[in-house]
Amino acid sequence: MKMVFCMMVLLISLASGSPVIRAQSFAALGSSQGTKTSNAVQLTSFLRQPLPGHAVAQGKPSTYNADTLYQYIDGGADIYLLYDFKTLLHEEFKSGTNELTVDLYDMGTGDDAFGIYSSERSPNYKFLSIGAEGYRATGILNFLAGQYYVKLSGSGLTTDKLLDEFARLLSSRIGGSRVIPPLLLRLPHQDRVPHSEQYIKKDPLGHAFLAPAYIVSYAQGREQMKLVVSVANDGPAAKARAEQFAKHFKQSGESASAPEFGENGMRGSNSFEGHVISRTRGRYLIAVFNPGQTGAGILQAATRSLP
Amino acid sequence: MRNQEWNRRDFIVKPILWAGTASVIGKTQLLIAASVKPPLIQRTLGKTGITLPVVSMGVMNADIPGLLRHAYELGIRHFDTAAVYQQGRNEEMVGNVIKEMGVRDKVVVSTKQPSRGHSGNPAEAKQRFIDGVEASLRRLQMDHVDILYHHGVDSVEDANAEGPLEALQKLKKDGRTRFVGISTHRTVDVLNEAMRLEVFDVALVMLNYTMAHNAEVLSTIERAAKLGIGIVAMKTQAGGTIKPDPKLPKELRPESQTALLKWVLNHEFVTTAIPGFSTYEHLEQDFSVVRDLAYTDREKKFLANDSFVAEAEFCHQCGECKKDCPNQVDIPLLMRSHMYAVQYRNIGVARQTLASAAPGMGLDSCAGCDSCAVHCRTVQIGRKIDELKNLALEQAAI
Repeated sequence: MKMVFCMMVLLISLASGSPVIRAQSFAALGSSQGTKTSNAVQLTSFLRQPLPGHAVAQGKPSTYNADTLYQYIDGGADIYLLYDFKTLLHEEFKSGTNELTVDLYDMGTGDDAFGIYSSERSPNYKFLSIGAEGYRATGILNFLAGQYYVKLSGSGLTTDKLLDEFARLLSSRIGGSRVIPPLLLRLPHQDRVPHSEQYIKKDPLGHAFLAPAYIVSYAQGREQMKLVVSVANDGPAAKARAEQFAKHFKQSGESASAPEFGENGMRGSNSFEGHVISRTRGRYLIAVFNPGQTGAGILQAATRSLP
Repeated sequence: MRNQEWNRRDFIVKPILWAGTASVIGKTQLLIAASVKPPLIQRTLGKTGITLPVVSMGVMNADIPGLLRHAYELGIRHFDTAAVYQQGRNEEMVGNVIKEMGVRDKVVVSTKQPSRGHSGNPAEAKQRFIDGVEASLRRLQMDHVDILYHHGVDSVEDANAEGPLEALQKLKKDGRTRFVGISTHRTVDVLNEAMRLEVFDVALVMLNYTMAHNAEVLSTIERAAKLGIGIVAMKTQAGGTIKPDPKLPKELRPESQTALLKWVLNHEFVTTAIPGFSTYEHLEQDFSVVRDLAYTDREKKFLANDSFVAEAEFCHQCGECKKDCPNQVDIPLLMRSHMYAVQYRNIGVARQTLASAAPGMGLDSCAGCDSCAVHCRTVQIGRKIDELKNLALEQAAI
């Protein structure tokens, strides 16, 4: 009887188009609206008064999500989306004769924030000890703090000082991790090109199957090498990546087994990527592009450094 | 007349020799035919005199110089970048690779300079624009680019901005760029203004299969091309996957991507497309159309697919519909939810999207209207909302 009654209630509700039923059928799973709101609230809280230089907001802040980011940075949005960009808070300030733009990107995770940060930084910038890392270039100061990528830009007579003060205040308010992804810290330091580390979430070096990957550049004399550590789920998956890697070079140039490098060792080359040596260890596929004379040593040192 | 007399040996041997020779010649011809590919389809870019293969490269990622090298090897000759892409790293990579390959005189390089967000008077805006372009040229290690675009112009007002307009003309006169262009997502309004201004040599416009029923966009682009503005197409395959969320599975097969690209390029008023591939696989896939734009059977089948054709009504999320809704419903959000439910067949994400609507602005607020009276140039909003309502009922019954 109870069952029949419930069915009747359900049928009547459906027939009448009960908003309650509809709301329940498309009820929020988790709290996507809640998460979005808290992202924006959190970001806004970082820009609460007081601010350096008695900076005053010029109008209301704008927020952008994955669907709307292109309205602010056009085609530049694509790479942010590759790193699972969540929310941007954009706000403009005035302090005396200085104008300042603050863009706070919530990337969701420290690795993703580092990924987009590292894709935009140049080893030629002037680096600063702000957050996990920061840098200054003409009229801009960008830094990384936890899951946030903060981009400041300004113009005016005392902009550099204002940018610096803003950055330090924001960094202290944000908190978060003060280091770059731990795996990058483990890789060999000798001959490393400073500030060349990268985390590539999608299509590392043009190969979808290598994702995600950590990349570091090395230089010795005139030799410039690139170390790539591709992280698979497990050993068999890493081996599958190694096989696909070898197949790519076989099809596009040359590839040969190289047991002297260790597990699944390979030597390859083609006309557009140059030479590469690689091997696996556990869940990692490790490769060195343009190895030259010292690349084999970097390959082995990197292999030993991995957890 | 003397006849050639055949003896028995001639009668037997000579035909065999002739047949053998014919066979060898035949096989040789087949081998030659197999190794000789049809030529690349090339078109001329408006009145610029630049001739390009119909597939070019939108350089998306600064960390894959090999991709650019391989693109050149295959035959791509136009590379598009922008000052804002990865804060200049993208331009640096393009410049490094072109210099290293020594092919500057063989390629067409375009970059883009924005003017958005800049305050100040026209003279200041002009100087900022020029300074920005000079910085781009330093990063590219070039003394000029072939096409310089005013980047991301999405209103008639921006198209008319005095500072960038004067900057573009000065930079062209000074030889810092051979040609000037305008890039936009608001094709009809901005391209009409570009035609009126008679300043721009090239237009970079969004064009994809989701606009197949948008006669206004297509005719505007065609008219601009007839006036001599070179047309470069971007976002050519975005219609197939909209803005793919990396977490969503890509349901479309490779022939969908080539079909979508061919659809764009089968409009002869488009000179070239700049798909933004980021893998070697996609580069080769996209470039595979450059010699033959005829659809394969699989591609025809994909384009004829009813559900995909229905979804070709692409909501561009402009939000202009919201003001006409008496209940202030977040219509762009409902359209996104419809896309997830129907095109991506991901009811879970569709639900989440609907649930993210602000109170009183979701699907529930549509309950009071028998049918939707909001009008959109490209989307049948009422039909899609009805489909969402029906889906909601189906889900409730499960």
